[in-house]
Amino acid sequence: MDIDDLLAEVAVDTTPQETRDLQALTRAWVAERVAPEMLAWPGSLMERVLERVRRQIELVEDQTGSMDPKTNFKLIVIQTELERFKFLVRSFLRSRLRKIDAHPLHILALHTDADEMHPLLSPAEHQYLTSHQTLLSTHYASSFLSQFPSSLQRLDDTTGGISMVDKPDEDAAVFVRVLRDVGEVAVEGTEKRFEMKRGDVWKMYDITPGVAGSDRWARDEGQNAVHSGERTK
Amino acid sequence: MYGEIGNKLVQHAKRTQSLAHLPPYQTELVRAVTREVRDLDKDVATILEPFAGSFNPSAEPATACALLVNHLCMRRDKRCLLAYHRTRTDKLEEMCWSGIDVLERQQQQSQKGAGEGSGAAMGADGTGSSLSPEEEEYVRQYSDLLASYKGQWTDIDLTGSLEPPKDLFIDVRVLKDAGEIQTEYGAITLTKNSQFYVRQGDVERLIAQGYLQRLS
Repeated sequence: MDIDDLLAEVAVDTTPQETRDLQALTRAWVAERVAPEMLAWPGSLMERVLERVRRQIELVEDQTGSMDPKTNFKLIVIQTELERFKFLVRSFLRSRLRKIDAHPLHILALHTDADEMHPLLSPAEHQYLTSHQTLLSTHYASSFLSQFPSSLQRLDDTTGGISMVDKPDEDAAVFVRVLRDVGEVAVEGTEKRFEMKRGDVWKMYDITPGVAGSDRWARDEGQNAVHSGERTK
Repeated sequence: MYGEIGNKLVQHAKRTQSLAHLPPYQTELVRAVTREVRDLDKDVATILEPFAGSFNPSAEPATACALLVNHLCMRRDKRCLLAYHRTRTDKLEEMCWSGIDVLERQQQQSQKGAGEGSGAAMGADGTGSSLSPEEEEYVRQYSDLLASYKGQWTDIDLTGSLEPPKDLFIDVRVLKDAGEIQTEYGAITLTKNSQFYVRQGDVERLIAQGYLQRLS
């Protein structure tokens, strides 16, 4: 542990929860948009953020109509902040929905495999996914699939070596920003070794178990050691 | 035969992707591909019949090959059909998200088509709608699903703008009469050609629907 780490820890403790939540939300939003895979649902963070958004909306509703120019000015600041928060949450949710729509069956399987403490989807998203999938299969069935021979009616067929369940491109490159020193990382199967320092930005292909040093990833994952498109498996 | 019609469907799907509107549903082609799959399946059954369930591929390579071709074609046809329908539903979903009332628009279009007495650009089945009845049903149900999902996020307004907000208030010009709207600062009557300085969140919907134009 060196001086940067110490400073970082002190800084974390003194920043209020609200500021840290905003930072976490922004990171979650960026990560969700760049990662090819669906990332886990940040449940408690979203609860806190939504609760605060709701409180601010109430505050704005209470105080509008006041003729005091000071209050009015304050309200404009609050509303501007509110709009920005709403944008972050909206864009975050929409990018998750886009992934859900693109690879429903794949994501559903991952969600079922995920442990209950860290679900991949929020309950609402899960419900959306299943209802949407039901709608789609009913649509396919009534349009043409019901007239097919019964062996060909499945939507998750894997015979013939081709799976019908589409997956995101797991080999897509992601950008990674290092939030805390990771140290030297070796890429398995090659001679490549590199040092990851706090603040570095890397473009990488895979951060899955199998890359040497992945235990460090696993350990630090909860504390966002590497973020902005970290690959979780 | 053997996937040719399926290919046409895929070409239609490809074309649909770059169009702003949804071209008519290819009822005939879909039917033809489905028929082809059933025919191929029957073929397979006929080929297999004399073997009575004890078919050995290595003993009869020629028959095995014919079977394989049939099987692959059926799967390919299925894939083409799925791709075609999925492309169209994606398009329909996109319209639902951007607040376009697809069904209403379809009705208007078919009325217009009937009025002009020309069904040339209309559906192949002559009903005037470019959606199949199944697709209309799908749109209806998807809108419900979307509404119920959105309902859980009323504070956020999920269908709102995906552009990062810059200003709380914006200048807008009214393009079409939109009647009276309620805002936190009182009611505003939006009459054509008037100009307002309003909160962006209040009028976003109207801008998307083409009633208002944003002035920068």
